[in-house]
Amino acid sequence: MLLDLFRATLLLICIYTARHYWFTLNRLFGQQRHPYVDVETADWPAVTVLIAAHNEEAVVADILKALLEVDYPAEKLAIVPVNDRSTDRTREIIDEFVERYPRIEPFHRVGGKPGKAAALKDAMERVNTEVVLIFDADYIPGRALIRNLVSPFFDPEIGAVMGRVVPLNVGKKLLTRLLDLERSGGYQVDQQARMNMHMVPQYGGTVAGVRKSALDEIGGWNENALAEDTDLTYRLLLAGWKTAYENRAECYEEVPERWPVRVRQIMRWAKGHNQAMISYLIKTARCGSLSWLERIDGVLLLGVYLMGPVLLWGWLLAVVLFYTGVEIGGGLTVLALGVFTALGNFAAFFEIAAAVRLDGSRQRIRLLPLTLFGFTVSLISVSRAAWQQLQDSLFGSAELVWHKTERSRTAPVLKDSPLPVLEEVR
Amino acid sequence: MSFWAPLALAGTTAALAALPVVPALYELRKRNDAAPLPTSRHDGKVTNFADALRAKLEPLRPKLEQCRRNCEVSRVGLEAMNVLLVGCEGFDFDPSQMQGIAAVMCCQDVTVPAGKVLEADFCVDATLELGEGTVIRSALAAGNITLGKRSAVTRWLHSNGTVYLREWSSVYGRLSAAESIYLEPGCSFERVHAPVILTSTGAGPVSGGSVSALSPETTAEVNAPSGKDQMLYSHPRIRVEGNFSLPASEIVNANVVATGEARFARGSCFFGNVKSYRDTIVEEDARVHGSIVCGGAVHLGRGCFVAGPLMVEGDVVMDPGSSVGAPHALTTLSSQKMKIAAGCRLHGTVWPRANGIVES
Repeated sequence: MLLDLFRATLLLICIYTARHYWFTLNRLFGQQRHPYVDVETADWPAVTVLIAAHNEEAVVADILKALLEVDYPAEKLAIVPVNDRSTDRTREIIDEFVERYPRIEPFHRVGGKPGKAAALKDAMERVNTEVVLIFDADYIPGRALIRNLVSPFFDPEIGAVMGRVVPLNVGKKLLTRLLDLERSGGYQVDQQARMNMHMVPQYGGTVAGVRKSALDEIGGWNENALAEDTDLTYRLLLAGWKTAYENRAECYEEVPERWPVRVRQIMRWAKGHNQAMISYLIKTARCGSLSWLERIDGVLLLGVYLMGPVLLWGWLLAVVLFYTGVEIGGGLTVLALGVFTALGNFAAFFEIAAAVRLDGSRQRIRLLPLTLFGFTVSLISVSRAAWQQLQDSLFGSAELVWHKTERSRTAPVLKDSPLPVLEEVR
Repeated sequence: MSFWAPLALAGTTAALAALPVVPALYELRKRNDAAPLPTSRHDGKVTNFADALRAKLEPLRPKLEQCRRNCEVSRVGLEAMNVLLVGCEGFDFDPSQMQGIAAVMCCQDVTVPAGKVLEADFCVDATLELGEGTVIRSALAAGNITLGKRSAVTRWLHSNGTVYLREWSSVYGRLSAAESIYLEPGCSFERVHAPVILTSTGAGPVSGGSVSALSPETTAEVNAPSGKDQMLYSHPRIRVEGNFSLPASEIVNANVVATGEARFARGSCFFGNVKSYRDTIVEEDARVHGSIVCGGAVHLGRGCFVAGPLMVEGDVVMDPGSSVGAPHALTTLSSQKMKIAAGCRLHGTVWPRANGIVES
């Protein structure tokens, strides 16, 4: 019995290892797809940009300044800061902008259910454009970003689009440097490889866009979802809409600078993702309108946060089997174990190394051994999140609670320039 | 066993284990590569190179004016490069005078004699004409630019007026004009932008003349929908498992996703956006008032019209008389390779990722 469990665990780990290698090799040697990147001139549609802001006094001015500078027809761009029950100076700062720039149309939300999805749901009632872009308040879009995110919507199959997130406060701490590497791997390799191979690029909830008619078709934002982005990706997918990833639509974000903030963030992601897995795993696996590749990738993507506890379980089992003297046996098991020990342990790090190379940076690759530390923290955090969820479901607790990620920026970084004064954020 | 043996083993093992971390700790401390990754600052403006050259040479304008008054040619230094200021007409770009020259600034009409190969950027206040077989690096002109037969520009070319590319000439890099661009048979290009881009037979009156006079045959865009209708959201979305075919002379309002080919038969009219996983064929005189997204190749038949944009992962072939975009609604046509027949008309940006050619 234990041996069978061990074999199953090993198989799962090998599948995810192969997935890492497949994505990485595709990015290094495969054909790259950027089908929408060349659209420079077009009759651009009207767009609404929603900025989700809950107590964002330190950062909201930056994104408003940056959005006022973007290269998109002003008459077709509605900027809507969604001030969700802020208790700091967020409202005041937004109103100062509105006074100076009447094209900003604020939505001050004073009540209702907490959480980003609930705030966006309320804000959507005011939206009358077909394309809606969503940013968190700590993001700083570049001049061409709006056009990059809008161009995929000329494709009638696209329901959502996702841009690339680039950490701004990289040089601050060990954590920010590790997150910079992790983000590179996630976007430069994972997301783009999925785009290349017609799989399931993930809508990430910020630096992202959604087609309003598609959203209406699937019933709008799910305010009960802890990860509204993953939830939306799968609901769109099952309804026949695709998500496009735009690797060149890059946008700066602020990553957590303190470990407790990071742990809370990843636990929230893990819980939300697992929640989506429970809702959509079977439906995705059985959805006849999806290609086999989409189904496999969709299922594996849903299970990605479950691999933390699976890995811990595998280690525990290995120790137990060793000390109980059970024969592992079977050529295939031994081969799988050997292959995993030789190659599998390095799959995720290989992916990060490839991403850093693709990004063209030279020195930061030296930090690669330290990602083991970040990996360990994430492993424990996602396992803890899964354990808490299991307890909640068994002993009936608790509504899922949404934790806003704490900001480290204390003042705006944008001066007159639309792009960040990079020296000041190092 | 010596007392030191286990200590030595432990020490050596710890040192070996720490070895891979040393560069990491060094980088963490020194922060040599700790700046945020540069994000794209590309604003999509096709004239960026031309604007940069103009701005760079602007400080030399008083000297150029002086050359014009004295009707002389002068060699000056600017930021470690040599610039030739041409203040008179009829300069013959003699190799001895062009030695080491990185840029040429002219205030009058310029004609580069046939067969010259000049590794220089040109900034011309009037018109620029390149003789047959001429090669230059790049050029910006306030007036029209004409490239003679089999001439080439290796980097970019921009005119504030009109650009004429005679037979078998090539522009590698950006080719743009504020008004229009005429491409004759055999011309090759990479990225082209102008409100009007016409491929001509080469037999017509290329220099001078108005756009409409040169392209009377293509009027399909006259009835194109206005800008706000381009994405046509209100139309139903239809998913077709397999091939989609719109019969001849039919009119349909829909957004269509076809997992096979998409075909618009002769004279049909389609209002909406279409995506095909495989090839798309727009037959003679058919009209697509919306975008085409294609995983395969696109064939635009004689006299057909597509509002655009067209995002094609394969190649594009345009038959005579076909047109893309409209003067009031510029668009983008992007593909891997592109083959355009004479007599086609495009509005906006044409971007073959590999290469584009006008059929000879």
